[in-house]
Amino acid sequence: MVKIHIDEKPIDVEEGTTILKAAETAGISIPHLCYHDAFPPEGSCRMCLVEIEGLPKLELACSTQVRDGMKVFTKSEKVVEARMGVLEFLLAEHPLDCPICDKAGDCKLQDYYDEYGLFESQFRESKEKREKKDKIGKSLIHDEERCILCRRCVRFLREITKTQELGVFERGIHSRVNIYDLTPVDNNYSGNLAQICPVGAITDEDFRFKTRSWFLKKGESVCPLCSRGCSITIEYHPGFSHFGVPSRVYRIQSRENQEVNGFWICDMGRYGYSYLNENRLDKIVINNKEWNIKPTWEDVSYFINQQLKKLDEGKKTSQTVLILNTWLSNEELFLIHKIFKNDQNLDRIFFADRPQAEKDDFLLTAERTPNKKGALEMGFDIKPANPEALSDKTGLLLVFGSFLAEQINAADFKKALEKIETKVLFTSHENELNSLFDIVLPTALIPEKGGSLTNIDGKIQKFSPVFELPGDSLPEWMMLADLGRKFGTNSSFYKEFTTPESILKEIENEVPFFREQK
Amino acid sequence: MNPEFSGKVRKEIEKIVARYPQKEAAILPVLHITQQEFGFISPESEKLIAGILGIKPIQVREVVTFYTMLNREPIGKYHIQVCSNLSCSLLGAEKLTDYLKEKLSIEPGQTSEDKKFTLSLVECLGACEQAPCMMINFDYHGNLDKKKIDKILDGLE
Amino acid sequence: MAEKVLTQHFGLNNVYQIDEYIKQGGYEAVKKALKLKPEEILEEMKKANLRGRGGAGFPAGVKWGFVPKVDKPKYLCVNADEGEPGTFKDRYIMSHNPHMLLEGIIITSYCVGIHSAYIYIRGEYEAVALRLEEAISEAYDKEYLGKNILNSGFSLEVFVHRGAGAYICGEETALLESLEGKRGNPRLKPPFPASVGLFQCPTVINNVETVSNIPQIILNGADWFTGKGLPKDGGTRIFGVSGMVEKPGIYELPIGTNLKDIINKHAGGMKQGKKLKAVIPGGMSAPVLKADEIDIPMDFDSLVNAESMLGSAAVIVIDTGTSMLDVLMAVTKFYSHESCGQCTPCRIGTSWINKIVKRMAEGKGSKKDIDDIVRLASNILGKTLCPLGDAAAMPILSIAKKFKKELESRL
Repeated sequence: MVKIHIDEKPIDVEEGTTILKAAETAGISIPHLCYHDAFPPEGSCRMCLVEIEGLPKLELACSTQVRDGMKVFTKSEKVVEARMGVLEFLLAEHPLDCPICDKAGDCKLQDYYDEYGLFESQFRESKEKREKKDKIGKSLIHDEERCILCRRCVRFLREITKTQELGVFERGIHSRVNIYDLTPVDNNYSGNLAQICPVGAITDEDFRFKTRSWFLKKGESVCPLCSRGCSITIEYHPGFSHFGVPSRVYRIQSRENQEVNGFWICDMGRYGYSYLNENRLDKIVINNKEWNIKPTWEDVSYFINQQLKKLDEGKKTSQTVLILNTWLSNEELFLIHKIFKNDQNLDRIFFADRPQAEKDDFLLTAERTPNKKGALEMGFDIKPANPEALSDKTGLLLVFGSFLAEQINAADFKKALEKIETKVLFTSHENELNSLFDIVLPTALIPEKGGSLTNIDGKIQKFSPVFELPGDSLPEWMMLADLGRKFGTNSSFYKEFTTPESILKEIENEVPFFREQK
Repeated sequence: MNPEFSGKVRKEIEKIVARYPQKEAAILPVLHITQQEFGFISPESEKLIAGILGIKPIQVREVVTFYTMLNREPIGKYHIQVCSNLSCSLLGAEKLTDYLKEKLSIEPGQTSEDKKFTLSLVECLGACEQAPCMMINFDYHGNLDKKKIDKILDGLE
Repeated sequence: MAEKVLTQHFGLNNVYQIDEYIKQGGYEAVKKALKLKPEEILEEMKKANLRGRGGAGFPAGVKWGFVPKVDKPKYLCVNADEGEPGTFKDRYIMSHNPHMLLEGIIITSYCVGIHSAYIYIRGEYEAVALRLEEAISEAYDKEYLGKNILNSGFSLEVFVHRGAGAYICGEETALLESLEGKRGNPRLKPPFPASVGLFQCPTVINNVETVSNIPQIILNGADWFTGKGLPKDGGTRIFGVSGMVEKPGIYELPIGTNLKDIINKHAGGMKQGKKLKAVIPGGMSAPVLKADEIDIPMDFDSLVNAESMLGSAAVIVIDTGTSMLDVLMAVTKFYSHESCGQCTPCRIGTSWINKIVKRMAEGKGSKKDIDDIVRLASNILGKTLCPLGDAAAMPILSIAKKFKKELESRL
């Protein structure tokens, strides 16, 4: 350990730490542009120059390692002057694009000018004119005039994806970053470039001109589109409930998690969020009018309860079929396991999931669901659902999720369903097959509920709700806990399950894998 | 048309590449040879060189666009590079440049109609004791005046 | 004992050919060195106080001492990029006496434990590069290079590597990047090349003239060498004089020779009818001296005290008939053209200042422009990744300050 002072504040840090990181641990932020935690220091923006007592020149905070007894000043007159100097240089050749630039509100150059600049431009010459709307990737637009040549994008493609689609050409003030020979940035991680660009030089077409970053709220979540479970930040507009304008997700960004995804997410996870905005089911739908059930959870759950009791008393529990999916959280799978496999001794439990696809050699897994490992460790046998599964006498069918359509041919499915007495669907989305079910219950998506998922490496990842449930939707864990309570034989067991945390605690007691992970 | 190196040139390149523990380090010598053979570095040449050195074509272009002496387009038979730096300026380089512009009817950066001459202004050539001076291809000519320039150009075929 | 250290054989017929060079006592220094222990050579080099002749003036012996004793190949890079405007001395050394340089390379490599040396020579010096290649070939033939030199057990390969037009590649870490086949972008220091240099291995980088001094130091000793110059600043320098003098050219003179004498005694004084206005004493990067400031000994410390530098000892003489605005233009044009573009202050600052000066030259300038130039240059000085920023800022500041009145009068 090493003892240093930054701005007169005493700090203890490990040997080998840079001044920038040491300051961070003490809550002191030193402005920087080219530095990024994912890469070794570059030292080219010169924004992070600080004063070290005893040294004649200012030194870089991003690359200078601390020494015992070092005294650093991040706000001295010399430092502030140097910082303003760098800002002035950058802004001199920077186009006045803020009104039309997507990065506004998120832009380091704006932030630093706001904090350390606020001077009038003294540049009276002609700015360098460059390409402003270069499509350099499937969803990327490059503006050479805005580029500050921090080269984060070039380094990312050289060191992380090793595909090197971007390079620096020419020299001096004519230097520019661009692709080669019209070969676009074409890899599954291209979206990270728009995220790491500190200014609006690389912007995402998916986000272009759609909204302003200061309208967006941010929430932490876990990506459910494959088994990696990358940490993400969901950026959404909360809508105007008073005027019936719904909330809308505009963007997914990656979030640092050194144990799972490092600093990055793949494009599939980044751009695959339309399901959060489109075709949501937010009302309980009763298609079967004969039964006279009111579309409330109270009524529906009572009805389901009755069906389960009927089959149980008539010793016909083998007539219950469950079709699950591995998007369900650990908590939900645990409850299902308890209520149906344990308490009811059901064994006609099947899974219908999004089909597997190509994995890559970085983050993307072949499994395109987030909780297969969770299901396995919970004790489930992942048997895929097929029409034959439904052909035996089936009195009650409970389906979780809308993925059946991807696994079973629609026509075969319709035929199989016709023979089933009671069919209940728990789903989050409108779908043409929904009308085949007697009762359709709207469920929550991961950003609307709490819980945990187990990723491909066995890491248990907790998530909390980011935005509100739409309409009458309910989280599956809540509905299941309620069913457990109402069902009778073991109702007291389910009494305490009023939060996902309480369920996870029980899982950690009971299930060996989860007990070991604690 | 895809450029290719003759067997003799390939052998020369092999010898040069062997001088370095990493193939990539041979890129400048190989670029000089390429420019000697073909007059300039075309995109096809970039791919050819990239293949020989085991690197990506983009890396070749990054290098080519950094250095002043590597041409990306064909130039005239004789590249007249006039020094425009301090010592040569002190001794009248500007007037001589104007003279060349008039004589060849081209501006710096341009090639004459008959593709014989390309005129460029360059920085210090390291021959300041002979200012004002110019370099034609790789031949240095110093202590220039209008008469000397006439004599030199007339002697070029 | 020779009077000169470097130029004693210049002009002698064909001394660039090895047989002629050997006739003049060539390669005796190598023979002597190979019989000494490397530590002994290092001690002598430190005593000689041979400061780098490229511009930075770092003591060569000290630099060699920084190379760690690790089990990795070590390299020597001879900096023959000679891009500093006004400088042409290395061209003379390599054209007239390439074997003297090779001798220095062999002794340096033997002392530090280096077995591969690259001479990084600027691309424009094609004829000089060919001469070097011939000399190297001759040396191999006579077994002064290659495996087991003169049965000493020491082996050394020497290669010529041509640049392609980039002044920045004269900066030692940019030279390394260029040699490795990349764009000539300087590296962050630390780590220093002595520990992490060419191909990530310990590397010594020395200027042509620096290395060329070594054979005579080995033959005649450190005390002889310091006796030729100053105790803390040993030897002679090859001063390259150009501009408005009668006899521009190279002049090997003891370190500490007065600048007045260099111009008036050796270079023949001002050209007929011209009067002295200003002198750049050490290549374009050195702050300018006014006509009344040239009574100064040409050694590292004296020039630092005069707020200038000895640099590459390239003396550029400017007359009263030349506008300092034109001189400033040549300076800003050069540095903005040669900036590698990696770091913010140099990339944008040199270009911005150049744009201002161009506008001033077109008659559209104002007094504020001169203040802006000083401010911007001060924001470059000491804030850049490599010394090119300083090399640009220093002359600009010296002209803008010392010749402010003249610049204002030309608005």
